[in-house]
Amino acid sequence: MSTRFPRANSQGLAGCHTCGKVSPVTLGRCPRCDTPLHLRKPDSVNRTMAFMFAALALYVPANFLPMMTMVELGYSTENTIVGGILYFWNSGAYPIALVILTASILIPLLKIVALTWLCLAASGKLHPSPKVLGRIYWLTELFGRWSMIDIFVVGILVALVQIGNYMTVTPGPGALAFGGVVVLTMFAAMSFDPRLLWDRFETLETDSSPFKKTNP
Amino acid sequence: MRKSLFRIRRELLPWPKPPGGPHFAACHLCDTLHEAEPLPEGQAARCRCCGAILYQNRPASLVRVTAFSSAALILMVVVNQFPFLTMDAAGVRTTLNLVSAARALITEGSPMLGIALALFTLVTPLALASGLLYVCAPLMVGKIAPGAIHVAKWLNRAEPWNMIEVFLLGVLVSLLKLEMLAEVHFGPGFWAFAVVMVCMAAAISGIDRDELWDRLEVAGR
Repeated sequence: MSTRFPRANSQGLAGCHTCGKVSPVTLGRCPRCDTPLHLRKPDSVNRTMAFMFAALALYVPANFLPMMTMVELGYSTENTIVGGILYFWNSGAYPIALVILTASILIPLLKIVALTWLCLAASGKLHPSPKVLGRIYWLTELFGRWSMIDIFVVGILVALVQIGNYMTVTPGPGALAFGGVVVLTMFAAMSFDPRLLWDRFETLETDSSPFKKTNP
Repeated sequence: MRKSLFRIRRELLPWPKPPGGPHFAACHLCDTLHEAEPLPEGQAARCRCCGAILYQNRPASLVRVTAFSSAALILMVVVNQFPFLTMDAAGVRTTLNLVSAARALITEGSPMLGIALALFTLVTPLALASGLLYVCAPLMVGKIAPGAIHVAKWLNRAEPWNMIEVFLLGVLVSLLKLEMLAEVHFGPGFWAFAVVMVCMAAAISGIDRDELWDRLEVAGR
């Protein structure tokens, strides 16, 4: 990486978050769409970490409190996420069990791990390799929404069964907590600024360049 | 007929660049600065540092966005007028309609769930489709609709919250959960919603953000 490409922030230029137009940051607001201009998303690491801690706090009740309670002929069962996965796995519906496992347990967990890693790298506590981390960030943004699936399942079951009156399904506190986890991790991913990884990478490179110059 | 339509879009509707320049594009992942050169239709410009897509010139963008978003809007009427699911259990037939489901959830004890359902599967897709139509249709004749700039800003913000595809997978999972207890059939509303999902995806990816804003800037002058 001896030839470095020019970067917008080194010339005082900022790409607008909303419309993408590149303008001098001294203008304050984008001349095209009037969004405030920033070189980097303001406080992005702090905001991401805050959203993530909130998500982590809700992740535990989301997994251990019941998502819904089914009352059928006076016999009530409480469904947790893990219980649902086990139910499908034991009844032989392996693909569905895997889909729920991925969407409801793995994606939120991996998302929290990935964003922690990204925040640590962006604040210089871990060595950034921006290409890999950029890809991880992209995946985080892409798959985050799919965790919502369990909330929709609860919604459909509650609505479907409430309308017919043969058994009752009521949503449990787990559903609310889980919805919170999904929305909060989505906000966390949105407030993270991947350009910080490249900033860190660039300062590391300039720091080590004197050593490179001593080599022939 | 087809030939003349083809000519209209080639000659009247290429991606215009606002006067002045040079125009720049900064990569949203790594902030590398590029000069934004015009692209032939169907091609994408990639960042030379990290390889992320900077902008792309989607073919027949305005025509496609207008067509797909109006199709999505029309089908949304079908979704809301026809039964979504029918359930036969213990001799009782229940029909579920998407709007009535959300309303039932809101009024009968789980308002948060109902609001989430309505927001992610009805309100956001409707707002996105009508917003795209409102912004893009007048641009086809080079006009800018009043307030289109504000609408376009909200399109960007609303996009991640459109969760039709997630919801449809959720429908499949809940059907499998009910399999043992009841017989559930898809209604016309479900199939219409599946087509809405495809139309929304086509409409949203039909025009690049930079192209939309360049067109708005040129038309607004």
